[in-house]
Amino acid sequence: MPIPSAALEVETAAQGPVRKRVRVSGAWTFEHLKTRRGDLTPAIEALEREPPEHVAWDLTDVAELDDVGAVWLARAIRAAPRVEVAARHRLLLNQAGEALQVPAAARAPVDPLAPIVTVGRLALDFGEHLRDATMRLGLIAIRAAELSQRPRDLPLRELSAGVFRSGVTALPVTMLVGFLVGIVLTYLSALQLKRYGADLLVINIVGVGVVRELGPMLASIIAAGRSGSAITAQLGVMRVTEEIEALSVMGVSTNARLVLPKVIALAIALPLVTFCTDLAAIAGALLVSRFTLGITPAAFLEALPRAVEVVNFWIGIGKSAVFGFAVAFVACHFGLRVLPNTESLAAGVTRSVVAAITTVIVLDAAFAILLRNVG
Amino acid sequence: MSDSAAEHVVEIEGLLNTVGPGIVLHRDLELRVRRDEVLSLVGGSGSGKSQLLRVMLGLKAPQAGSVRVFGVSWRDPRWKRVRDARRRMGMLFQNGALFSALSVYDNVAFPLRERGGLLEGEVRSIVHAKLAQVELDPSHGALLPANLSGGMVKRVALARALALSPELLVLDEPTAGLDPDRTTRFVRLIKRLREEQRFAVIMVTHDLMPLYELTDRVAVLADQHIIACDTIAAVRRLEHRFVQNFFGPERRRAADGG
Repeated sequence: MPIPSAALEVETAAQGPVRKRVRVSGAWTFEHLKTRRGDLTPAIEALEREPPEHVAWDLTDVAELDDVGAVWLARAIRAAPRVEVAARHRLLLNQAGEALQVPAAARAPVDPLAPIVTVGRLALDFGEHLRDATMRLGLIAIRAAELSQRPRDLPLRELSAGVFRSGVTALPVTMLVGFLVGIVLTYLSALQLKRYGADLLVINIVGVGVVRELGPMLASIIAAGRSGSAITAQLGVMRVTEEIEALSVMGVSTNARLVLPKVIALAIALPLVTFCTDLAAIAGALLVSRFTLGITPAAFLEALPRAVEVVNFWIGIGKSAVFGFAVAFVACHFGLRVLPNTESLAAGVTRSVVAAITTVIVLDAAFAILLRNVG
Repeated sequence: MSDSAAEHVVEIEGLLNTVGPGIVLHRDLELRVRRDEVLSLVGGSGSGKSQLLRVMLGLKAPQAGSVRVFGVSWRDPRWKRVRDARRRMGMLFQNGALFSALSVYDNVAFPLRERGGLLEGEVRSIVHAKLAQVELDPSHGALLPANLSGGMVKRVALARALALSPELLVLDEPTAGLDPDRTTRFVRLIKRLREEQRFAVIMVTHDLMPLYELTDRVAVLADQHIIACDTIAAVRRLEHRFVQNFFGPERRRAADGG
């Protein structure tokens, strides 16, 4: 026999202490109630408006009751003194009644000083990052100095693996981007230069721009996205799985064992990637100048060394090594600060990439000022 | 080294340890662990057993008080002394904390290679000896931690913790998540290894079985400090709600039955 659906019958008495007698029957479970909100709610709300002591409840015919049914009924019953209910439903109903007494969490009042507090907290946070990073930089320098005395302890396998991972595997995407940037830059410059008949200047613009600025920047931004995020995620997961703790307990320095090889590897790999990016960008430039300006590749290559002093190339390569160091260092810094939870891991990776790119741009600006008279 | 340090592997004095702003976890906590003893640390959930372990291992700096392991403070600026103290102890993390990028073999070899001074052939012999000690086959060496069962992870982690023949072994809930049969075998394994190698053990546990089987002394962590540190028989007589519940007749029966 199917269980009858939830029903609520209200009998009104004209006088006496009890004005209303409510007979509840059927199945008061979520399955039955989910389609009945529309027709049951008005009746329940009407009973809610009655003073609880004026209503007598008879729940003995309730066939089934679950949390949803109990909450719906408890809202209307409240502290009614006359409630008849089957023993097996009493506990559920009482619990629902008590749960309704629990006030919803109060919303925190809006603090008018909140923006100032936030700014202050961000500033303190930044200061803390700067302090920790400086300390880590010092520790790495000490470890590196120790290692230079015992070169046999250099983790060569890890270094070569790092150079391969962050260098060789990054080549296709970095070179493709370099090639396309070379094409776009040359094409746009050519459009302007043609008007003044200064076609050959395109070699100067593209040459210096790519070799000194764009090559290193492109390579490090892609490295921040590829290798930087990978380093942060790896160290973060090692924190989550307590591998960092295991290293510390063994007396192994995380700076020497984890940070140093990654930092050195990227400082070696990035100049090489930059060199290949330069080549790809110049290939793009070569192609465009041939077709838009009619400069033959032979003429282009012949003019290039004269237009771009070789010091520009070395500045670009030197900057790449520093950028590589910075990207890996920032990534390690954020990776080791990840707390053992998923939220912190995600935030750490995001902040690592953003901070690495920002650091690279700030360093580039510093280089531009320092080396303004060179090349 | 003082006399006390010769007698005790771990000495904690006047420890004040807080988590977050103003929540005091431990206050005036004293604990001494002797050489060659098995000391179990018990306490209710949230009493700060794991945090005490972290402080003891130097993973967390306390607000105040001194923590010395083998007579060396983790705050000692002479990091070589600190490192040497660390190499005299082994730690078994609750979830193993194996290096997930390294194979079983490389995990066990890791502390040996880090310490240095051994030829690769010697490392190999020691690794295989350690794997045999924890009843693992040399063929397991090539597996990655992700391919191991929970019980095997614990045994590999134990082999790694024992790699440098430590004088102190720290076990964080060594039998949590193991079935009763595995628990029995793990406890027997620790017992046998201890008979062979005589290391001190500090163990955090909720299981009565390893407690009764292995422990020389029990330290009870409650009300922010060690309320008692004595043999099980002596601690059981203590009038304290946690102690009475923990060693109560119901749990005792369950432990005997299981």
